[in-house]
Amino acid sequence: MSLLTSLARLRALDEGIAQPVATVRHCHLSRRPMVFIPLKLSGEAAAPLAAMLGTDRDDPRLLVVAQPRNRDLRFAWAAELAGVLLPYVEALTVDTETVERKNADPYERAVDAPQLVVPNQGGVAFTALLGRSTRFRRADGPYPVPGSVPLLGRWLTYFAERAAYPGSSIMLAATEELGRHWASGQSSLEDANLAALMSWITTGPSDEAEDPLVWPPAGPATDPGFDAEVLAPAIESGSAERVAEALRTQLEPTWRLVWQAIDLLAALPEGASVAQRWEQDRGSFSGMAAHVAEGAPPQARRDGAVAAAARLARMERAQAAYDVQRAYDDPMVMAEYRLTGEAFAGEVVETDPENTEGEGRSRKLRPLVVVKTDDPVRLPQGTSLGTPQRRGQGAVLVAADEGLITVKITKGMGRGKTAAPGSVPEVGERVCYTSLTDDFQGSATLPEAEATPWTHGGPPRGYTPDDEDAQEEWS
Amino acid sequence: MTGLKREGDPVRRLEALRGTTPPRPHDARAIAALAANPGCARRALMDGAGIDKDAAARHLGFPAPFGQSPFAITRGNMFEALVKADGCAELLRMLRELLDLPVEEVAYHDVENVGAHLRHTHTRSLLDHAARSTTAAEPVSAATFYDHPLLSLSIAGHTAYLEPDLVAFQLGGRFHVVEVKSFSVIDGQADPAAVAAAARQAAVYVLAMRTTLEELGHDPGLVSHDVVLVCPENFANRPVATLVDVRKQLAVLRRQLTRMTTLDRLLDALPDDLTFDLRPDDDGRPTRPVAELADALSRTTARYAPDCLSTCDMCFFCRDEARQEGASDLLGRQVRDELGGVASVAEALGLADGTRTPAEGQEEIARLLRNAERLRRECLT
Amino acid sequence: MGDRLDELERRIDELRAAVRRAMRARDGGTARSLRADLRSAERAWDALVSGEHPQAKQEPPRLVTVREQVHQGLRLLGATAQPRLIVAVSDAFFGGTLRSDRLTSLRRDEERSFRSSPFGRPYYLCAALTDRLSAARGLLTLSTWPLERRVVGPLSPRVDFLNCAIAVAKQRSDDERAVRLLARMARNIPGATDSGLAPPDPARVVAAARAELAVHVERDTRDRAELARRAAVQLGDTARLFGAATLSTITKEKAK
Repeated sequence: MSLLTSLARLRALDEGIAQPVATVRHCHLSRRPMVFIPLKLSGEAAAPLAAMLGTDRDDPRLLVVAQPRNRDLRFAWAAELAGVLLPYVEALTVDTETVERKNADPYERAVDAPQLVVPNQGGVAFTALLGRSTRFRRADGPYPVPGSVPLLGRWLTYFAERAAYPGSSIMLAATEELGRHWASGQSSLEDANLAALMSWITTGPSDEAEDPLVWPPAGPATDPGFDAEVLAPAIESGSAERVAEALRTQLEPTWRLVWQAIDLLAALPEGASVAQRWEQDRGSFSGMAAHVAEGAPPQARRDGAVAAAARLARMERAQAAYDVQRAYDDPMVMAEYRLTGEAFAGEVVETDPENTEGEGRSRKLRPLVVVKTDDPVRLPQGTSLGTPQRRGQGAVLVAADEGLITVKITKGMGRGKTAAPGSVPEVGERVCYTSLTDDFQGSATLPEAEATPWTHGGPPRGYTPDDEDAQEEWS
Repeated sequence: MTGLKREGDPVRRLEALRGTTPPRPHDARAIAALAANPGCARRALMDGAGIDKDAAARHLGFPAPFGQSPFAITRGNMFEALVKADGCAELLRMLRELLDLPVEEVAYHDVENVGAHLRHTHTRSLLDHAARSTTAAEPVSAATFYDHPLLSLSIAGHTAYLEPDLVAFQLGGRFHVVEVKSFSVIDGQADPAAVAAAARQAAVYVLAMRTTLEELGHDPGLVSHDVVLVCPENFANRPVATLVDVRKQLAVLRRQLTRMTTLDRLLDALPDDLTFDLRPDDDGRPTRPVAELADALSRTTARYAPDCLSTCDMCFFCRDEARQEGASDLLGRQVRDELGGVASVAEALGLADGTRTPAEGQEEIARLLRNAERLRRECLT
Repeated sequence: MGDRLDELERRIDELRAAVRRAMRARDGGTARSLRADLRSAERAWDALVSGEHPQAKQEPPRLVTVREQVHQGLRLLGATAQPRLIVAVSDAFFGGTLRSDRLTSLRRDEERSFRSSPFGRPYYLCAALTDRLSAARGLLTLSTWPLERRVVGPLSPRVDFLNCAIAVAKQRSDDERAVRLLARMARNIPGATDSGLAPPDPARVVAAARAELAVHVERDTRDRAELARRAAVQLGDTARLFGAATLSTITKEKAK
């Protein structure tokens, strides 16, 4: 959290309503998101109790395990879940576009990808556990499960992995996304309660948000009082209808909240880089779909050393790119860098669009721009700069003196003798320059998996799930 | 009464704080939680006086948001029964695999076979006997497992009785606390918060056992700082054991308990007639006027932090107080750290607006806040 | 009917909230009476929704009594055992319908029956005796067994477990439940199985259990003989079957 966000929280507390910390939306929102609210049985690692899900806010599907300790009913529930989720996913693999690549074969990319929206981080973690507990099952042999169950497990695992990938919108946790765009007047710990966070954003704080009788927890854990007074007697009664009705009361309020959260996010204009990140999501989705179609094995229980290092490096790059893109897309995010002196903004007070450097053949056009700023600039001379106003442009900091910063444009002003029209800011224009840039060093070279050094466990044996995986108890 | 205080009789002072409300015995979880917020004077006093914080919070109209689902309780009991079933058959397998427990070590002793009132003394004599076997010239038989032991630990003058799940002995001639928990270890990983809580709780048992051995004239080092944590593995009920080193938790706990025995300084700062008595009637229902109790509590300083919401019964009361005071503590530690010691919301906002002149030492944070405010305004217009 | 259902649902919701509020306020009395109202509303709802009158869940006809099923299980095992294991054995070999919670009151019923007419039945399900000659918690034995088998020294739980494993292995049943039970027991005996999913080899389980038994049997036999001797000398008929009263049970009896 930055000082800027802290200040926003203080302001929210003082004014009794959440304060914006973003001016644009940084996540993609699907036209048909799949809202998914899973509940689990208390005390169990991954025993599903119920889920409410669907793409139509007026028509949620409720799936219930009427006897949560019954293994067969659990798998039947997983099969039902597969029956809703898999058609949604598979329909999106049909329409593709061909993407040309430099130095590589073109590939097919889905024109749209699925989007799973859960209420909170707990929903993501539970999705991962459900994936883990179902993806190794088999439809044949001892302890067979419905054929769709292992496939469901692979997709749930995929969704949960994407949720951890910075900037991906394949799986969103409502509280996380809301927290990226609004600062409430409570602690981040309390922000994990969707009802509480939503009330800060919409109407102002309300103690009712913490009353499980008014707002049941958004899952995956249920309210202990509900378990004791309602759910346990319902299960004991053996009446599936009663269990379902009881769980519906716990899920419906959250269902409405999640859709309301989506509406709030949808009302924000989309950030400029969102489409580009969604494109990567679509590519990733097509990759996963191809993987499944080719009959590749399910995701391993754990990564080998090289795969783990590669994944970590990928995530770090994605995080850095995501941070920079958000700053370029959103002046409110850029303000954090201005506060720390890594960026500055202000009015252009003077320009020299025809400034050149060098003589004769090596004479180059290097327009100069002087910006007047109130920001505390902490960048040394010679720092490479980029600017959100002209994304392709490169510049260098020449001098900084009492709030007057001289910048030299080195790239992105055309190849002519004079700068291309519009490429040099006019006097009076407001501009922002920053040392943050989107071009990163290439990935660290990692050995091929086959060449994993012995210090890291040697070459991994390919993960082939065995009978034990397939027959693992789920009790 | 004034004279009493001057003479310094902390135990009597603490009893006066509790008044006629029966003391609430501490369990290991409560003792472990003492270490969670060491700076809170209100909590130190209430715990030191053995006050039932849960009852107090209820009476004040701020019941704690805790509760355990009957499903979780049932599951926990079932799992513990499974681990101990058939002469601890599962536990033997794990200890043989994990700690090379010799095959002849199987002797099982259920301390609970004696009457409930004898359990504590029986536990002491069994521990004494077992500890003797390590130094005796002739072989003395000691059991491998002591089930349902009852230990005691003195907390600020009160004896707290503690029930570890099981104590194992004869693992290299040392006692090991065995803690059975029903959260799962999945592909070698468990919820770190759950593991940390289990470690803190186990540390309380280790400390209680070490204290007991010391009192009996034995080497407290006979109790290992490695505790055996038993959890279900993956999605099945099959138990798996892991050794957890609790030295760090022990150190924190010891420091906390030492502080609790020196509450004099905190007590000295309180008015003589101050009490947190709930004045229960014959049915145990509190009759103390709520406003009066709240007022008495407000004489002590709480140190509210959002983490209290998961550890302290008084959390909602203290949060409400922090709200009324407009304390920046409400927003969590990160925000507090960012604000570098500006404790009130109004003060921080005043510095940001420039309506308040920074006090000495606040110049830097004031400059940052003013800058941040300027930037926010610029972005929002 | 829909109106009536809606009305009932509203009522149920209100009652539930009221119960939980009462629970939170620790007002047990109110909670209890509200709960009773809630149950009747829920029953009415069930009845209306399923279009029939509520009826008690039908239990399968029980041909063999709980008592007899436990007896069968213990006879097969041949050693003192916990209710859990007896239930598993009954399930695996006799198609039993036992549930552990039904066994909790069994011992008390047996003791009552014995007291009213001593030795009136051919066998009694009774308690194992601890080193204090009191009833051991959660262990069942048969009155027809010799005292040595009914007392438990420090090593006895393990010895009994190994003997039970041998007894289960000797059944050589292919029933899935029996195989699962044996596998569960075998994995806790060193050398009885390979890691893996293959069903355990009964002969190997027996051999492994006997190998470990050999380590403990001498001391256990000695301990048990000593306890049995003390029990024979110190205890009367009832206590010899159901355990000597501990100090706390005596105090409780007197308090009545």
